[in-house]
Amino acid sequence: MSASSLVPPRPRWLDVVGVLGLVATGVTVWLGLWVTPPDVVQGNLARLLYIHPPLATVALYWAGGVAAGGSLLYLWPRTRSFFWDRLAASAVEVGAVFSALTLATGSLWGRPVWGVWWTWDARLTSTALLLLLEIGYLALRRVPADPAVRARRCAVAALLVAIDVPIVHFSVQWWQTLHQGGTVLDPGFDLHVHGIMLWTLGLGFVAFSLVFVWLLGVRYQVEVLQDAVGGQELEVSLAERWSEDPELVGVGGSGAEAHERGGAP
Amino acid sequence: MSYVDAGYAVALATLFVYAVGLVVRRRRWERALRASERPVAETGAPSHGERS
Repeated sequence: MSASSLVPPRPRWLDVVGVLGLVATGVTVWLGLWVTPPDVVQGNLARLLYIHPPLATVALYWAGGVAAGGSLLYLWPRTRSFFWDRLAASAVEVGAVFSALTLATGSLWGRPVWGVWWTWDARLTSTALLLLLEIGYLALRRVPADPAVRARRCAVAALLVAIDVPIVHFSVQWWQTLHQGGTVLDPGFDLHVHGIMLWTLGLGFVAFSLVFVWLLGVRYQVEVLQDAVGGQELEVSLAERWSEDPELVGVGGSGAEAHERGGAP
Repeated sequence: MSYVDAGYAVALATLFVYAVGLVVRRRRWERALRASERPVAETGAPSHGERS
């Protein structure tokens, strides 16, 4: 195998998604800050709502969905593959960034509107819990272990993180605290936003979704490369041992190899 | 700076820094993978297929 063949190729579609995400984000910012009119009630502060709900949507549904789905598919014996483990891990890291931004932009909106940077509101608290759970997942992933063991326990951890997603979603209905209900739609599917404001908000959802896909793709590539380098380092160590003691040849491969072949290590 | 400007600045700057960080990490790991491959080829150790 040649040296360059181990480095995974960068898919072209990912570059296209990245450029589209960049353009859509730029247009969203332009519309949100300069084109849309001030809100009747909130004035210019409503402009923050062109980015806050899209950030929250990505953090909650896209990242949470990919992390939960990937973890379930990893735990399911028929679909078990490190692809799902890496995808879930990538989604959790990118999701943590979006969760932190959701809290930050929400806080910057809450200070002038609610009068506080932070309150122990059900929606805010459950979102902060989501961020903490994601950080916990990332910490767990750094604990040294056999790749298959790490993947299994991280998949379980990701499912625990995902339990918080419906809690965040329904928090505004289950508990009547400070945070308002649906920003775009209420439970009766009545639209609250109209005209250019609706288009700007819609573009914001598209823009941050594209940015999420691009970040997820690049983060996945990093995950693949990390595992490949780890595997290569293991190969070097084993090669050195074999060169010292040829009788060790035939003892067996790593747990990850056995796992990739479909069996438990 | 208004709350609105601060919100946009925080969100866009964070995403930009994270994206650049990811690209840098990807480049570093690609370099590390190319570098880590050489010793295996030089030791003449058996390949996976030869082992079992």
